[in-house]
Amino acid sequence: MKVKKSVIFRRSSQVFFLLLFLYILWTTTYPLKGAFNADMFFKTDPNIMLAVALSERTIVAGLVLAFIIPVLTLIFGRFFCGWVCPFGTVIDAAGSLRRKKKALSDGVNARIRNIKYVLLAVSIAAAVLGHQYAWVLDPIAMMGRFISINLIPAVTGVVEKTFIFTMRDLGFRPEWLYSFYRALKGSFLGVETYVFANSAPILAMFALIMAFAAWVPRSWCRAICPLGAIYALLARYALLARTVERCTQCGMCSRDCRMGAIKDDLDYVKGECILCMDCVYTCAPGRIRFRFLPARGQGGHKTLVRQGGKGAISRADFILLMIGSILASGLKWAFKVPRKLIRPPGSQDEKAFVDKCVRCANCMKICPTKVLQPAFLESGPGGLWTPHLVNEIGYCEYNCDLCGRVCPTGAIPRLGLEEKKRAKLGLARVDRAKCIAWSAGMECLVCEEHCPVSHKAIKIDNVIVNGVVLGRPVVDEDLCIGCGICQNKCPVRPQRAIVVDPQK
Amino acid sequence: MDRFFYRLECFLKGQVSRKTFLKILLGGLTSFVAGNAFLKYAFAKSEGSNGRISRGITGNADIIVAKGVDPYRNTVEAVKGIGGMGKFVRKGDTVLVKPNMAWDRTPEQAANTDPAVVAALVEMCYASGAKKVNVLDVTCNNEKLCYEHSGIAAAVKEKGANVYFPDHWNVVKAHFPYESPMEGWPVLRDAVDCDVFINVPVLKHHGLTGLTLSMKNLMGVCSGTRGMIHFNIGRKLADLTDFLKPDLTVIDATRVLRAHGPSGGDVNDVEKMDSVIVATDPLLADMYASKLFGKPPMEISYISEALARSPEKKDLAKAKVVELST
Ligand code: SF4
Repeated sequence: MKVKKSVIFRRSSQVFFLLLFLYILWTTTYPLKGAFNADMFFKTDPNIMLAVALSERTIVAGLVLAFIIPVLTLIFGRFFCGWVCPFGTVIDAAGSLRRKKKALSDGVNARIRNIKYVLLAVSIAAAVLGHQYAWVLDPIAMMGRFISINLIPAVTGVVEKTFIFTMRDLGFRPEWLYSFYRALKGSFLGVETYVFANSAPILAMFALIMAFAAWVPRSWCRAICPLGAIYALLARYALLARTVERCTQCGMCSRDCRMGAIKDDLDYVKGECILCMDCVYTCAPGRIRFRFLPARGQGGHKTLVRQGGKGAISRADFILLMIGSILASGLKWAFKVPRKLIRPPGSQDEKAFVDKCVRCANCMKICPTKVLQPAFLESGPGGLWTPHLVNEIGYCEYNCDLCGRVCPTGAIPRLGLEEKKRAKLGLARVDRAKCIAWSAGMECLVCEEHCPVSHKAIKIDNVIVNGVVLGRPVVDEDLCIGCGICQNKCPVRPQRAIVVDPQK
Repeated sequence: MDRFFYRLECFLKGQVSRKTFLKILLGGLTSFVAGNAFLKYAFAKSEGSNGRISRGITGNADIIVAKGVDPYRNTVEAVKGIGGMGKFVRKGDTVLVKPNMAWDRTPEQAANTDPAVVAALVEMCYASGAKKVNVLDVTCNNEKLCYEHSGIAAAVKEKGANVYFPDHWNVVKAHFPYESPMEGWPVLRDAVDCDVFINVPVLKHHGLTGLTLSMKNLMGVCSGTRGMIHFNIGRKLADLTDFLKPDLTVIDATRVLRAHGPSGGDVNDVEKMDSVIVATDPLLADMYASKLFGKPPMEISYISEALARSPEKKDLAKAKVVELST
């Protein structure tokens, strides 16, 4: 057996970047002391960054980072997909679950290959029209969402439950185990484990893509991925290319190619090649090499695939594309619902917020009280998985501006702590019929106690009932910032007697 | 290495027969059901507690007040005055020091106990031979932020204390010999199981009760929906104090939040009083502190409730008060 040096090299690179991605997301938590910027991976994703910049007509901070990989792609080809992309790595792993790989015919390959260009074009057209839909299919955002919303809560939850089961229910509670658990709680587990609302559809989407990848290897990357489409377009002009010398026409490489990039005539589609190095390895006589700027005649294969006819977007595709993008931009308008969600601090303009948000879930991951939860259809289909505040679960912590510091696109602005403390999220309202101080004459004032505004946005209205002074809460509308701690701590159930309404 | 990969691949790609599959499925289902039944059984026996067992040690005086610019020295002198920490803490004891660090505020904002006071107590406990000194609080704001910004976690860690976030699964249900609105309330086990309980509140304004004092500070070892304690708070806090029987009460009046408590936030509401009050009886400590603040003790609902139970303490003038200046 020949040592698959380059294959092993590629796998290590994939594992490295996957672990790096995991590490970054794991450290996306208070006090935000990871070695890397929490939004690093997202910032280097041209698909979402350029779409946001285009649709919002702004320069997103750190936009230059989005050009790093495209430039490298012009040199090396679509290396990102085969060597870096964490989503691609998981897709590869899913693909290796099945021994008998499904090989698609040339015709099918050529057809599905074009789907992703259409999808990319739809998202660009929508962005030109002022709507950002790149988030829907972006692999990096999807991966981040899966890790932050599904994976990390599941892992920490299971670990914590195991500890609790051992220590409480089995009664096995030696000193060392307990101290170990406490140390974990301060670091790895987080003080409280949690689950996110609406996390099931996120998992379902991820699982579906993985199931497809197990069926046809890299089916997602071949057919759908808009980020892959960007890189494929650039990779056509890459300097590095595959060459074959004195080919024996055995066809092994074509059968094994995980991207379906090698055609029956053993020519290859340059944009589809992710430099996985499998063919270099499988080619028994060892005649495949990757070279910079190979001479045209070298190897007897055309190395550059001319685009045109099948390769490019056909007229039918183009018309479809136009219809698609008009529909897409109409979608949000058609399903427009009145504003009823409370958005993170500083992002009060609903339309701009929904368009800037790429649903990477960074803010929800870092929120220390987990008040930020992914929305489902509460604000229409256009607001799917955008973060909003659910005050029954948490509340906006007064001395905290972490969400704005990890948002890659500026959907949640970086306000700075002092300004964030003044940012109004909504307005609290006491429901006097439910409030036990107002309706039942009982002492409570839990809301007033917790109000973080230094001169208290909840004032006490004193009356004398049966000779006893009784305080009842009244909201001072000028001081209230709508942080929601009052609603969170109000002991009245099932509905709280004080609720924060989104701002009009 | 290649062999290993080969084996791994064989394992991953091996065929599973229908029979094996069914076996696995059945086995999984049975263990799930059995596990669930076991869990139900384990949950059914809730652990109750009849309260903390206190050694009931009394000090050399009823109340010691130390005044001086340095809160650390104040604490040391006041504890010395009541008989020294050795009177309360024995060799090998587990001590719980319960400060107020419920709010995400800095020491200057005076919503939490002064870190120097807590640190001094921890140090003295260890000097008297304590095996372990635990410091914790069930916070109102986010735990991590409170522990860090109050400055307490760092200050006591330096003295070797065991600072940790309380576990809400590790609680006991409070039982009372008399009928109580607090019956069945979940209280942190570590607060009940410790050998010595030192309660270290900060004196400050509070919207509902008027003042936050030692009895109010005991809410910080309660789990559950604590807002519920606010209805009929006087009665509940008196019962809770009875249940926990703190051995030593140290009230920090170094910086006193005079308005907009208990969370405060405005340094203009803070007044320097530079005192530390130490007592073995939480009621006397609270009465003295409220007088120091300038509020008649009877106006504080939990004090008046507790006084109704032991009317002999009503007259603060009868108590032996020692004032030191450091
Ligand atoms: S095609 Fe998309 S998902 Fe696949 S590896 Fe490339 S960027 Fe990642």
